[in-house]
Amino acid sequence: MTELKTVGKSIERVDIKAKVLGTAVYAADIKLPGMLHGKIVRCFEHAHAKVVHLDLSAAAAVPGVVKVLGPKDVTSKTYNQSVIDLMASKTEGAMLGDIEEQHIFTEHVKFWGDGIAGIIAVSEEVAERAAKLVRVEYEPLPVYITPEESGHPEAVQFTPHKPGNRAFQLPEEMFPGNALGWGDVDKAFEEADLVIEDTFYTPKQKQCQMEPNSYVALYDDSNRLNCWTSGQMPKLVHEKIARLFDLPMSRVTIHQTVVGGGFGARLGMVLEPEICAMALAVPGRPVKIQQPREEDWLTSPSRHPARYWMKIGFRKDGTPLAVDAKSVNFKGGYYLDGSALASTTGFWLQGMYKFENLRYKGESYFTNQPVCGAFRGYGNPQTNFVLEQMIERACVQLDLDPLEWRRKWHKETGDMSWLNATPYTSCALNDCLDRGAEVIGWAQKRKKYANQTGPKRRGIGVAVGNHTSGAFPMILEHTTCTVRLNEDASATVLVACSDMGQGAHTSLTQIAAETLGWPIEDVRLETGDSDANGFDIGAHASRTLYVGGAAIMKACQDARGQLLDRAARILKVNRDELDIDNKTIFVEGEPERSVSAVDICRTGIYNFIDHATGLPEGELGQIQAYVSYKPDQNSPPFFATFVELEVDTETGEVELLELVSSHDIGKAIHPAICEGQMEGGAQQGLGMVLTEEMYFDERGFAINNSFTDYKMLGASDMPKMTSILVENGDPYGPFGAKSVGEAGVVTPVGATANAIYQATGIQFTQGPITPEKILHEIRKRGLTYD
Amino acid sequence: MSSRVLTDFDLLLPGSLEEALEILDRERGAVTVLSGGTDLLVMMKAGFEADKVMSLALLGDLNRLEFDSATGLRIGARTTLAQLVDSPEVRQHYPALWQSARIFATPQLRNTATVVGNLLRGSPAGDCSAAVAALGGTLVMATAGGGRREIDIDDLWVSYGVTARADNELAVELRLPAPDSGTASAFKRLTRVNEDLAKLNVAVCLQMDGDTCKSARFAMGCVAPTMIRLPAAEAIVQGAKVDDETLARAAEAVQQDISPIDDKRSTAEYRRSVAGVYLKRAVQQACGFA
Amino acid sequence: MSKHMITLNVNGEDHDIVVASNKTLLEVLREQLNMPDTKYGCGTGECGACSVLLEDNSAINSCLTLAATMDGKKITTASGLEKGDKLHPVQQAFIDHAAVQCGFCTPGMVVKSVSLLAKNPRPTEQEIREGLEGSICRCTGYVKIVNAVEAASKAMAGTAG
Repeated sequence: MTELKTVGKSIERVDIKAKVLGTAVYAADIKLPGMLHGKIVRCFEHAHAKVVHLDLSAAAAVPGVVKVLGPKDVTSKTYNQSVIDLMASKTEGAMLGDIEEQHIFTEHVKFWGDGIAGIIAVSEEVAERAAKLVRVEYEPLPVYITPEESGHPEAVQFTPHKPGNRAFQLPEEMFPGNALGWGDVDKAFEEADLVIEDTFYTPKQKQCQMEPNSYVALYDDSNRLNCWTSGQMPKLVHEKIARLFDLPMSRVTIHQTVVGGGFGARLGMVLEPEICAMALAVPGRPVKIQQPREEDWLTSPSRHPARYWMKIGFRKDGTPLAVDAKSVNFKGGYYLDGSALASTTGFWLQGMYKFENLRYKGESYFTNQPVCGAFRGYGNPQTNFVLEQMIERACVQLDLDPLEWRRKWHKETGDMSWLNATPYTSCALNDCLDRGAEVIGWAQKRKKYANQTGPKRRGIGVAVGNHTSGAFPMILEHTTCTVRLNEDASATVLVACSDMGQGAHTSLTQIAAETLGWPIEDVRLETGDSDANGFDIGAHASRTLYVGGAAIMKACQDARGQLLDRAARILKVNRDELDIDNKTIFVEGEPERSVSAVDICRTGIYNFIDHATGLPEGELGQIQAYVSYKPDQNSPPFFATFVELEVDTETGEVELLELVSSHDIGKAIHPAICEGQMEGGAQQGLGMVLTEEMYFDERGFAINNSFTDYKMLGASDMPKMTSILVENGDPYGPFGAKSVGEAGVVTPVGATANAIYQATGIQFTQGPITPEKILHEIRKRGLTYD
Repeated sequence: MSSRVLTDFDLLLPGSLEEALEILDRERGAVTVLSGGTDLLVMMKAGFEADKVMSLALLGDLNRLEFDSATGLRIGARTTLAQLVDSPEVRQHYPALWQSARIFATPQLRNTATVVGNLLRGSPAGDCSAAVAALGGTLVMATAGGGRREIDIDDLWVSYGVTARADNELAVELRLPAPDSGTASAFKRLTRVNEDLAKLNVAVCLQMDGDTCKSARFAMGCVAPTMIRLPAAEAIVQGAKVDDETLARAAEAVQQDISPIDDKRSTAEYRRSVAGVYLKRAVQQACGFA
Repeated sequence: MSKHMITLNVNGEDHDIVVASNKTLLEVLREQLNMPDTKYGCGTGECGACSVLLEDNSAINSCLTLAATMDGKKITTASGLEKGDKLHPVQQAFIDHAAVQCGFCTPGMVVKSVSLLAKNPRPTEQEIREGLEGSICRCTGYVKIVNAVEAASKAMAGTAG
C-alpha cells in the first residue's frame, strides 16, 4: 500500500474555526423573519394523571398569543419518538413488540413534565406568561417508580398494547425461554467450585449535551414543512415526521444544524413532533422552541435505570463455567426504543468472555419517570459495572490475578461476537492490557496497595470491554453516498452522516481525500439537509466511521476509477498502469506521460467542440459516483481501562489520581479525534460510576434536573488521563479502522468500581458510588477484604 | 419550573446611597435588592416573583476592601468574592475567609457575586457565610436620613432564608475584627464535585496562646436551617491544649450542636458522620498541623 | 416593566439601545444585537457557555447579568477576539490541540481561558483546571482544553517577550 497522505494525521478539524469563533450555527441560532415562539405547556402538578379538563381560553386571550393548541388541535395520530423501530423488518418489529403510542399533547400524563398543550406567541416572554394561565383539571393516578409497582396486576395500564405495563421482554419467538445464551447453566453451576451472585443497580444518567433542545419549523408558502433541528439521525426523523403529518417526504425537509452534542439524547426525535405541529398551525410563520435546561432532563431520553442480577460460576483454576443474569430496566413513561436496551445489555455480556454456558433475560417496565432511551454505550457501561465487579470478586476469592484472568478468558478473533451471530474480525485486547498496565504501573501499584493502613487508602482497578462498529447484523445498516467531481476536479461528497461533535465530518473527509488522492482542501462533505442527500441511518451504534466511511471510500474509489478510465483512454494505456499525484494522472514509471485531472473534469462539463478536429475536447459528463452500501461485517473495538484512586476512609470521598485507557481501534484515521472520544467518554463513565444520577421524590417529581444539582466531573475533578491507540488494523474497516465513538464511556465504570474495591475491600453494587454509600459501608463493615 | 426568561419587573438604578435608601424607605419591602445577582436572578428564573428590583450597580463607592491592622477589615456591599481572592491582606490575615472565597462557586460567579449578598441570602450553605460566622464581625445597616446600626453576625440569620435586616435597611458594609498574633483560622467544605454548593462546610477561628486555645469560634453550614455556631465543640476546645484528644472530644461534641437533614446534596446520616471529622481537620489546618 | 437606554460596546462597536429591565445581557446579545456566538447552556451560571469578557478581561456569566446594568460597559465575546483575520492565540491553540468537539461550550470556554491567562499568564496545570471550573464541557474530558490553554500561555509569553 502506498504511503497515506491524510489518513492517520491529526489534521485541522473541518468545523473548528467556526466553533472557536462562535460562528457555527446551532438550532438556537436560527432566526427567521417574522418568527414566532412556541412553548410547550407541561404538567408539573403530577407524575401520573388524566387530564379531565383543559381550558386554554385565558392563555389564548393574552395579547401577543397567536395560537393555542390542545390535543384536539393537532394530529390525532400517535407516534414513537425513537427511530429504532424503522430499522427492524416488519416481522422482526412485530416479534419485538414495537409500538407507537405517543401523542403530541397527551391526555394521560405519564411523567412529571409530560406535554399537554402548546402556545405560539410573538415572544418567549408572552408564551411563558400565557402558559401560566392554562387551567387544567387532573385526575391523579397512582405513581409507579419501580417495576414492582407498575407491574402489579391492579396497576393503571400505560398502554393497552403492553399488558402488565411490561414494555418488553426478550420475545419467545426469537429467544426460546425468553433468554439468550447457550449451554445448560443450571447444570454447570452444580459442577462449579465457586458460585457467587449479587444484585446491582445502575442509575438514570443524563447525557447533558451542552446544547439544550432548540428547534425552528416553518410550513412555507410552497406547502413544504421545514424543520431545523440538531437531531443526530435526520433521515429517519424525515420519514417519521412525514408519516406523522401525512405528508409526502418530498414536502418535508429536515435541516440539520450544527449539533451541540448528542450522546444518544438526540437519537430519533425529541421535540420535532411538537415544533412541526406548531408550524402547521400557523402556515407561513416560522416558529421556534427553545427549552430551558431544566426541561432537557425531562424531555429527552436518558440512560435507563436498571436492576441487574448476576450469578456466576467458576472452576478453581478460573475457568468461567456459567453466567446467569437478568436485567430489569425502568422504561419511563413511553416505549421509544423499548426492545433495544434490555437486549443489548445481554449482548455485551455474551460478547465479552468465553463462558461455557450463558443465560440472560432482559425485561423493561413502564414507570412514571421521564423517558429512557439511547445513551452512549447502550447498556454496555451497565454490564461493565456488574460483570467486571463480579469477575473481580471471583478473582479475589480464587486468588487469581485479575489482569491475567482477563487476558486468558476474553473472547478473541474468530470467537462469536456480541450478537452470537458473526465472529470477531480482529482483537488486540492483550496489547491494550499490556500497554495500559505498563503506563500506569499496574503490577507495582497493585502489589503496593494490597496492604495499607491509615485513613487514606489507594486502589488500582482494571476493566475490559468491547463494543460494536455499526448495528449489523442486529438491525438495519445502510449508507448512501454520491461523489461528484467539480469543474476543477475538487470533490463534493454528498452523504447524510452526522457530526455530533465527535469529529466524523473531519475523519470522513480524510477518508474521501485519501481514497481520491486529493489534498484535503479539495474535498468537501455536503451534509445536513435531508433533501440534498441520499439515505443514511444517522449517528448511533458507533457506526459513522465504520459504515459511513466505507460507503464514502467505495464511492470515491468509483469516482477515481472513472477518472482513471478516461485518462487511460487519453493516454492509451490500461487503467491499472496509472497513478495520481497532485491532480495529475500519469503512467507509473513514466511521469512525463500524463494528463491533468482538472482538464478531464473541466472538459467533461464544458464540453466544447474543437474547431480544428470537429470533435469534442473531452469525454462528456461530470464524473459522479454513487453507492448504496450495506456492510456484511462488524468489527468491534476492544479496550481496557486502568484507574488509580484514593479513598478517604473517614469521609468516603474518592480522589481520582490517574486513568489510562487503551483502545484497539484498528487504525486511527485522526488520532486526536480518537483520543478525544476516549477522554470525553471517560468523563461520562467516571460520572456514571461516581456522581451522576437523576433522582425523584415519592411523587415522581425530579429533584435534581439542573446543573446546580446534577453534578458532572469538572476540569479539576478529572484525573490525569492517558489515551493509548492500539493500531493493528482490521481486515474490513476503512483503512483498517474500527469504531471509537461510544467505547470510551464503558470501561472507566468497571475499572473505578474495582479500584474502590481494592482500596476498601468493599464492592458497591448500587451506582453511583457516592461518599455517602462508601462511608456507610465502611462504618458498617470495617475495612477488611471479604 | 424554571424559565429561560425573567418575568416583568421594574428595575430601579439609584445613583447614590441616599437615593437607594430613600427607595427602600418608600417601598417598604416591595422592592428586592440586587447586588451581584448570581442568586437572585436564578431564583427569579425559578419562579420567585419580584415586581420591583433595585440594583446597586451604580453605587461605585460600595465596593471597598480595606484592611487596617488596628481596626480590621471593611468589606463593601458590592465587594466581590474575586476581590477577596486577589487581596494579599485577606489571604494573610483572614485565611478562613480567603479559603472560602477561593473556592466559592465558579470564577465567573466570583467576579459578580458579593460577600454581603452571600450573607444576606441567609442560606445555611454559604461558604463565605461560614467563614464570617467563625471570624465574627458586624454588618453595618443604613437607613434613609443617616440612620445606622450594626448587626452582630451571630444575630444575622433568623431562620432559613430570613435575616435580621429590616425592609428599609441596606447593608452597606461588613466589618471583621483585626486579628492578633495568636489568631488562627481555616475553612473546609465537602462537595459532590469541586464546583458545587457545600454538602457541609466548616470554618474555625481560634485565639491561640502557644498550644492552648484561649477562645474559639466554630461555624458549620448545611447542618441546621441556618449557618450555626458550634457551642458544645467550642466549649471543649476553649481553654484546652489543642491536641488529638481535645479534637476527638470536640468532634464528638459536634453531634450536640447539629441537626442535619436529607436534601438534594447529601443525607443527614452522612453529615453526622463527617461533621466531627471536618471540624477536626479545619482546626488542624488552622493551627498548622494538618 | 421599565425600559432603559444604554450604550453597550461589544467587540469594539458602540450600540445605543433600549433594553427592557428583565432582559439579561445574554438575551440582548443574542436576540437584540443578533450576535449568537454567546450561548445559552443553562441560564443559571453553572455551565459558562454564556461567558463574556469585561474590559479588565474578567469573565462573567451574561445569563445572570441584567443588560440595563451594563450602561457604558465594554465587553468582548468569542467572535470579537480575532484581531483582523488573526485568531487570538487561545483560539489558535484550541484549533492546534483539537480542543473542540461539539463546539457549543467553546466560545465560552475560549473567553474563560483568555480571562484565566490575563489573571495568571503562566498557570500550572492545576491552576488551569481550577480556573476552568464553571465552564462545562461534556465532550472532551478537558484533556485537550487544558493542553490548549497551556500552549496558549506559552505562545502569549513568546509574543510578549
